[in-house]
Amino acid sequence: MAPINIDASYRATPDPEGDSQSSSSNSPARADYEESDFYAGNNDSQSSIGVPTFQDMAVSEESCEPPANRLPAEVLIGIFSKLSSPVDLLNCMRVSKRWARNSVDLLWHRPACTTWVKHGFICRTLSLPDPYFAYRDFIKRLNLAALSDGVNDGSVTALQFCKRVERLTLTGCDGLSDGGLVGLLEGNHHLLALDISGDTQITEASMYALAENCKRLQGLNISLCTKISNQSMIAVAENCKYIKRLKLNDCEQLEDAAIMAFAQNCPNILEIDLHQCRSIGNGPVHALLSNGQTLRELRLANCELISDEAFLTLPPVRTYEHLRILDLTSCARLTDSAVEKIIDVAPRLRNVVFAKCRNLTDVAVHAISKLGKNLHYLHLGHCGHITDQAVIKLVQTCNRIRYIDLGCCIHLTDESVTKLAQLPKLRRIGLVKCSAITDKSVYALANATRRRHIHPELLGDHHSYISTSGGSSLERVHLSYCTNLTLTSIICLLNNCQKLTHLSLTGVQAFLRTDLEQFCRDAPPEFTEHQRNVFCVFSGQGVMGLRTHLNKLPLTHFDPTGTGPVDDDEDHTMTGTDHATLMMSAAALNADEDDADGDEELDDGDDNGGVSFNHGQT
Amino acid sequence: MSETKIQKLTLVANDGNKIEVDRQVAEKSVLIKNMLDDLGDEQMSTEVPIPNVNDTVLKKVIEWCEHHKNDPAAPQDDDSDSRKKTTDIDEWDQKFMQVDQEMLFEIILASNYLDIKPLLDVGCKTVANMIKGKSPEEIRKTFNITNDFTPEEEEQIRRENEWAEDR
Repeated sequence: MAPINIDASYRATPDPEGDSQSSSSNSPARADYEESDFYAGNNDSQSSIGVPTFQDMAVSEESCEPPANRLPAEVLIGIFSKLSSPVDLLNCMRVSKRWARNSVDLLWHRPACTTWVKHGFICRTLSLPDPYFAYRDFIKRLNLAALSDGVNDGSVTALQFCKRVERLTLTGCDGLSDGGLVGLLEGNHHLLALDISGDTQITEASMYALAENCKRLQGLNISLCTKISNQSMIAVAENCKYIKRLKLNDCEQLEDAAIMAFAQNCPNILEIDLHQCRSIGNGPVHALLSNGQTLRELRLANCELISDEAFLTLPPVRTYEHLRILDLTSCARLTDSAVEKIIDVAPRLRNVVFAKCRNLTDVAVHAISKLGKNLHYLHLGHCGHITDQAVIKLVQTCNRIRYIDLGCCIHLTDESVTKLAQLPKLRRIGLVKCSAITDKSVYALANATRRRHIHPELLGDHHSYISTSGGSSLERVHLSYCTNLTLTSIICLLNNCQKLTHLSLTGVQAFLRTDLEQFCRDAPPEFTEHQRNVFCVFSGQGVMGLRTHLNKLPLTHFDPTGTGPVDDDEDHTMTGTDHATLMMSAAALNADEDDADGDEELDDGDDNGGVSFNHGQT
Repeated sequence: MSETKIQKLTLVANDGNKIEVDRQVAEKSVLIKNMLDDLGDEQMSTEVPIPNVNDTVLKKVIEWCEHHKNDPAAPQDDDSDSRKKTTDIDEWDQKFMQVDQEMLFEIILASNYLDIKPLLDVGCKTVANMIKGKSPEEIRKTFNITNDFTPEEEEQIRRENEWAEDR
């Protein structure tokens, strides 16, 4: 069989030398990529790698170029795209015309309007009558958020020349009015995402311009823009049919008709956040669910008009497989029957927030338990009717919970926490004001990891399961106002949970000690004197400092190996760890590998640490 | 021909030298892999000419493929890859790329031609690291590039892009 020639442009000129230099005459694919305008006839002696024998061999003139010049444009761009600093890209631009041509759009793709000086230079260049390059056409992203408080209509005049912008971010530019924004939107048919959250002067004039010009729009954030009329949002919904992400937080002026229009016209909606759109009722919620083919995230926090009817009227047969995140914080009218219906129709929910839905009882938690391994994140804070029985059942079926908040669920006891501690992936737990819990709960959390790592083959024998070195997964633990807690259990927690970055113990008497103050965060400025006195939150370095400090204290009953007083014997530590639970944990471990759903790093809205938890709870 | 796939391939560099490689190693090249898929094993059982790459460079490229033959396949998503602006290079690759500039560019060109994206990526990162922190004149010297701007043009470029300067 004859060899197959894989390249039609194979050059038969054999290379007598066989060294790497001469191979240049056969550089891959050069003829296809080289920019002929620039290198035609460029055979000057300076650019030669120039051994005389080369010329004698009468190889093509290209061979005399320096190796860097032989790189095709696509490779050159590949190299430049690895440079993250604008100044490096600018230096490349200044090297030669060819380098300039291949780096300029990378540099201008997203010009850095990070300071007013830079903003001034950028605007100056964009206003030039005869620039070296058509810079304005390279700009795909514009972000003025860094300059937010100083931005006004004048600041965007020069930017109005950029008609190919795809992402326009004007967060917090509350000096900007329609005069400036309309100019940016008019004639721009490429816009994919617009963020004007906090631009409080913006009115419907801008929204009509958006509807008319930006038909490809996919993302819109108008949070806090309370001057935008309901009617203009209907126009946006009717014209921008590709919208996927909508954030309308705090737009209390928006009424059902506007949201209905999005539900009816934009079938691709993935995420919609109506936090604090207080005028929204059941109609739009029902329509978003029943019309949305891909709805993934629905946030309705503080939409207080929403009631059971929004969900109970959904058809019984259809399920919403895409829905992963549902936030109904403070939708206080909801009852257990709404929750039962929601879980029935959205079986793949991953993040569920029913905080402050105070009517909910164990019946709702039983329904949530049906989510099984799909459930990663559950917030039931202030659902005060919930009891241990429901939590125990929840843990048995939903063993992939990473985040759980049961703050102010005052009936919960150590029974619940002992179970929760067995969740193999638990990273954050909120138990603020669960005042019935004791050190026993903390020991359970501290020692849980030891039984998470069980060799499945050894399950049959109660005494032979092995504990491995796998550390605790706990990162944030909120125990404020759990008034029974003492130092010894917390030391155990600190020592056993090396990943711990946050620990809140506000209002716990045992920790109101002056020697601990140095590790505590500063109380938020708006706190009252009393709130300051009981404030006790450790995070980051503070946790480490606290750990070191407490370990130096002479505590008589403290066992630094972590098998604390309650937990010195494997048999009796397994209270409630029946065989079924062991099997379950092992199953969860084995199933880890196929847990392909990936993005588990969801914002839990708790980045301010304990502040949000302790706020106003003193 | 038997049912089983052939396990060895002979690559022929443009200077006629033949190099035998494991199929798994050769298939790091998407060009070769697609060719095998398209033509079938029978057609490939003898020799595969690699007309655009000489023996020395081809050996170097095969060395890299050999070392990385068990790497997981790169994500298909071109987009996310190009957005990764990091110039971190793993230690072995750094050593591998410690070659003269001529060879460095030959490796890049060969990996581009043979469609070995991870190797092209390492090559581009290596060059990017040679550019970082250098002035235009230093870059020209490093890569032996002629400045074809007039002084006026270069000044115009600098001024129009002044925002990108560190300040």
